Amino acid sequence: MLAVAALCTCLGFGTESIAFSRIWSVLLGALMGREFVTIGTDPASVILLQVRLPRLILAFFVGGSLAMVGVALQALLRNPLADPFIIGISSGAALGAAIAILFGVGISVWSVSALPVCAFAGAVLSLLIMYRISSAGTGFSIYTLLLAGVVLNAIFSAFIMFLTSVADPNRAFGMYAWLMGSLTGPDFSTLGVLALYLGVGLIVLGTQAQSLNLLTLGEETARSLGVEVERVKQLVFVASALLTGAVVSFSGIIGFVGLIVPHAVRLVLCADHRLLLPVAGFAGGIFLMFADTIARTVLSPAEFPVGVVTALVGGPVFLFLLMNRNMRVGM
Amino acid sequence: MLNSDSFIAAPAYALRDVTFRYATSSRDTSESVLKNLTCSIDSGKILGILGPNGSGKSTLLKLLARVLLQGSGTIELFGNSFSRLSQGEVARRVALVPQETMQIFPFTIAEMVLMGRFPHHRGWGGWHWEDSDDWRIAHQAMEELDVTHLGSRLVTDVSGGERQRAVIARALTQEPQILLLDEPTAFLDLHHQLDIARILRRLNRERGLTVILVSHDLNLASQYCDRLMLLHHGQIVEVGSPLEVLRPELLESVYGCPVLVDGHPQSGLPRVSLPV
Repeated sequence: MLAVAALCTCLGFGTESIAFSRIWSVLLGALMGREFVTIGTDPASVILLQVRLPRLILAFFVGGSLAMVGVALQALLRNPLADPFIIGISSGAALGAAIAILFGVGISVWSVSALPVCAFAGAVLSLLIMYRISSAGTGFSIYTLLLAGVVLNAIFSAFIMFLTSVADPNRAFGMYAWLMGSLTGPDFSTLGVLALYLGVGLIVLGTQAQSLNLLTLGEETARSLGVEVERVKQLVFVASALLTGAVVSFSGIIGFVGLIVPHAVRLVLCADHRLLLPVAGFAGGIFLMFADTIARTVLSPAEFPVGVVTALVGGPVFLFLLMNRNMRVGM
Repeated sequence: MLNSDSFIAAPAYALRDVTFRYATSSRDTSESVLKNLTCSIDSGKILGILGPNGSGKSTLLKLLARVLLQGSGTIELFGNSFSRLSQGEVARRVALVPQETMQIFPFTIAEMVLMGRFPHHRGWGGWHWEDSDDWRIAHQAMEELDVTHLGSRLVTDVSGGERQRAVIARALTQEPQILLLDEPTAFLDLHHQLDIARILRRLNRERGLTVILVSHDLNLASQYCDRLMLLHHGQIVEVGSPLEVLRPELLESVYGCPVLVDGHPQSGLPRVSLPV
């Protein structure tokens, strides 16, 4: 219900502002199959149904997935500051996607499948590196992971910059816009493909919710309580990589959603992953819908990447959490 | 599946030639932590595993909990080889109380205790909501450990002693036949040490729970354990009653320092002190 209300609110804002009652009638009309009559004749319904609605749905999908991946990674790495963007998973996926785009895989016949697959491969690669780092040695602290994430981000960004600088300028420009996180121009068929990827990833994550609860106690304790730790880790890693890969290949790098949303939900609700995962998913979706609406409207009719909004909101929150931890734990 | 016939007759554990070494990244000649351990552990008793630092006590306990996968040799639980049991099947019989419980996320004490029901749930990946039975069992365990009033407090916000009692409540919520504890009194003051020791003895006497604990506290072990196992360099040097194990010459050779052994003023059991 909240998601639908947020959707309607966001639909209203834009270069062409549209009244609430209008949105309702168009949406209801579309649901009842009348859109074929009105489309083409009514500019408001065209804007709503063909531009804003798919874009907001994409925002919802992307935000929700990023938040849930954040939840899963935080539990798996036992690190409350883990986020697909911060620890370099997103940039790994972006490198994979960039290779696909620049080498033309993305515009080949099987464009629908190749791009997310390359992004998935990139996400898996960076997750493997992060996991190796996080399980090596005994004196491992959460800051090692953050530091490693910074470096991993730098390395992947360097590769991406190298690729864009040797690429055809026209393509390179599109790459830049996409890299900064953009939700522009989806149609309903690409949304369908995305939904397919996300569905698989989310179902896998969802089934592991209770195991994630136990993993927060530490791997040894989780094992002593009957968790098949290795299997859970593999499933969650693959699902996280799949979700991150799919999201990045459709919308570029959007940071911090996976960090702030789980934190907020834990604060007001609880830490139980069986509730946390779905609620963070919805909250993340709603958060990104609003963030994208801000990105579309503040400089209207121009717009800026939604990644700018999430970074401006999420960055300070991240720093605050970091400071707070320092004082409390003294680490 | 556990074989129920052998379940009654067999000892809680039978270890044969168990050798374990931690995998290290460098190719150095890392020494085995446990070497060719062969022993049998009776059910229904309180067993204390003693030994100096690095003697392999905690490693042995983790092997018994199947938290570490064994290097070589066989471990049988009630006559069933570990290799044929799933993690869940072990966890329904054996509960582990680790030395420290870390938690960075805001779980409540009640939520953590309820996690003990996990091995009893068969859902895919353990996806399950606790039913009234689970709540009843968890509640009973919390009553027993006197942590019911802490139920809605966060794991991170209670004292070390309270958290330790809650972790034991979680272990009981697993409804195990064997309870393993790693230094259960290490971070506790005298009052809480006595508390935990008495609780363990009560559980053992009233329910026939097999208790195996690792401890540095020779005196507490002497008072509360039926049997002691003394480890040195990954090998068993002595198993027996406190009187048989806590002999001054044996302790001196294992710990490498002079010790005095006399009798406890109440029980007469061995009491170990350091010379001035």
